[in-house]
Amino acid sequence: MMTLLKYEILRRWKWLAFRYIALIGLGVVFYNRAAATPMQYEIAAASMGKFFLISLIVFVIILVEGINMLKEDLFEQSGYLTFTLPKPGRSILFAKNFLLLIQLILWVIVSIQFGSMFLKFLPLEEMSQFMSEIDLNIYPAILFFLSAFFNFVLMVQFSLTLTRTLLYRNKYSGIISVGIFFLLAYLIEQFYYGLFLVRVQHIYSEIAGEIQVDLISAGYSSVVMNIILSVIFFTATAYLLERKINI
Amino acid sequence: MDFNHNIPIYCQIIQQIKQDTVLGRLKPGQKMPSVREMAGKLKVNPNTVQRAYLELERENIVFTKRGMGTYLTKQEDIIHSLKKELSGKVIRDFLEGMNQLEYSNDHIMRVLREHLEEGRKINGTYFKKQPIK
Amino acid sequence: MEHILKSSQLSKYFYQKKALQKVDINIEKGKIYGILGPNGGGKSTFLKLAAGLLKPSEGEILIDGKKPGVYTKSIVSYLPEGNYFYKWMRIQDALSFFGDFYADFDVEKARQNFDFMKLDEKEKISSLSKGMLGRLKLSLAMSRNASLFLLDEPLNGIDPISREKIITSILEAFNPKSTIIICSHLIVYIEKLLDYVFFLSEGQIILEGNVEDLRNKKNLSIDQLYQEVFQS
Repeated sequence: MMTLLKYEILRRWKWLAFRYIALIGLGVVFYNRAAATPMQYEIAAASMGKFFLISLIVFVIILVEGINMLKEDLFEQSGYLTFTLPKPGRSILFAKNFLLLIQLILWVIVSIQFGSMFLKFLPLEEMSQFMSEIDLNIYPAILFFLSAFFNFVLMVQFSLTLTRTLLYRNKYSGIISVGIFFLLAYLIEQFYYGLFLVRVQHIYSEIAGEIQVDLISAGYSSVVMNIILSVIFFTATAYLLERKINI
Repeated sequence: MDFNHNIPIYCQIIQQIKQDTVLGRLKPGQKMPSVREMAGKLKVNPNTVQRAYLELERENIVFTKRGMGTYLTKQEDIIHSLKKELSGKVIRDFLEGMNQLEYSNDHIMRVLREHLEEGRKINGTYFKKQPIK
Repeated sequence: MEHILKSSQLSKYFYQKKALQKVDINIEKGKIYGILGPNGGGKSTFLKLAAGLLKPSEGEILIDGKKPGVYTKSIVSYLPEGNYFYKWMRIQDALSFFGDFYADFDVEKARQNFDFMKLDEKEKISSLSKGMLGRLKLSLAMSRNASLFLLDEPLNGIDPISREKIITSILEAFNPKSTIIICSHLIVYIEKLLDYVFFLSEGQIILEGNVEDLRNKKNLSIDQLYQEVFQS
């Protein structure tokens, strides 16, 4: 897996380095701008807003590239190189997603770090309650975010792989994989969340000893379900890659 | 060496080696190139060369010394009969050609004598007429 | 005689198209095979099935007695058509790549091949001409000590000098422990290399045989035989 990871990084190291340097660099720039005028909240807010925008753009880039990592090998000539390597499908898939995870963690750390630095410039009275709430919920929120993110990505990867398995060299592959994705999303929404969310919440509440239908319990059960779904999609995709695809 | 691809290549290799032997390009007892060397030089499949060598060994034209390689035979009588075999083929081809031109046997003998007496060089680079005795 | 590759009733269908129909092919170790036929006849499909990139629709294919998977990929060296390298790679990156992933890859041999093929390690692969790319692909593929080499149209669109180098390289890499399967529709250049041929058209084997025996029997070169067979 390490060799696969090495080459996934080498494949795009310039882009990787660039985005983080840009993110951190611009973060510093905007921070200094805000720090230069400590009492002018509008400037601080504007700088913070701009930083969040950059951060969001970088997030989208990470997401799109994350999906592209698999799409490239499934639909382009480089697939001949990747899929004749003596490595199981799950290792190839894992390496790509592991790189994605590292990137995401980096992004989260950088964004939150700068975010909290920016928040210090805003009016103290308004912010203190907001800050304390964030402090409490930040880790579950991150967990939820990561699990939801990977659920999404793995579902997309599964759709892409399924399309490649079912269709060979079809020009509608892109549209069809989107279609499969939405179909899966709908099915999951209807059956999985509908039926099981209530169940898991019920179990949690019984364990916790009290019924708490607030954000945290809903969050944790969603995390669990996201993780379960992620594992299912990962396994299914790895299986398809190993046994069923036609490149 | 350019090969005619209509006939088995190993046969052509055998022919070439036989010719080289008779013409003295290969000396009796000389070490033959290894199968790989020969294949590389001729740009052919090593198995083809191997088949040629095996066939030649069957005919006792070459022999293999364990761990040392393949050698051309030293036996004069074998080389001699090889010369006979090759010249026999040349003559048979000649006779077949003459028969196709509808020359009778007597006519063939007459024409042959004429050519020999005139002392024409077969390769045609120069012609030296000698008086008919 | 052990078979390094054995296909039984192997079939592959793409929607309506029958790329391969119940093909039985047995490949023995230590020989150079040619799978010849017109474009779209199933040659590439067969190689891809052996390489593990395609899965059989029916029947089976076994490499060294095993279904295509991680093990077979480690003993098979596959050379596809086209540029399959990652776009960021220089030649030296491809060298490290192969060295890292394949235990049987001989880096020294590859460097010697690069010398022979006049390839400069610092060059970007995307900027290579078709001939040089062909030389690179072959150098890398043949630098593995694989049990089975699958070469898909190695001489396509290659200039005469590159062609000669590629042929020499194939011969040099060949040894009794390895087997080479070459797919081509340019028979003239490779027929001297072949032990055995399969003529494949529309997914079926039309003719097969030992090359020298075929020459002997038919008094034709394989190229001429091919033209005769596919004219009809």
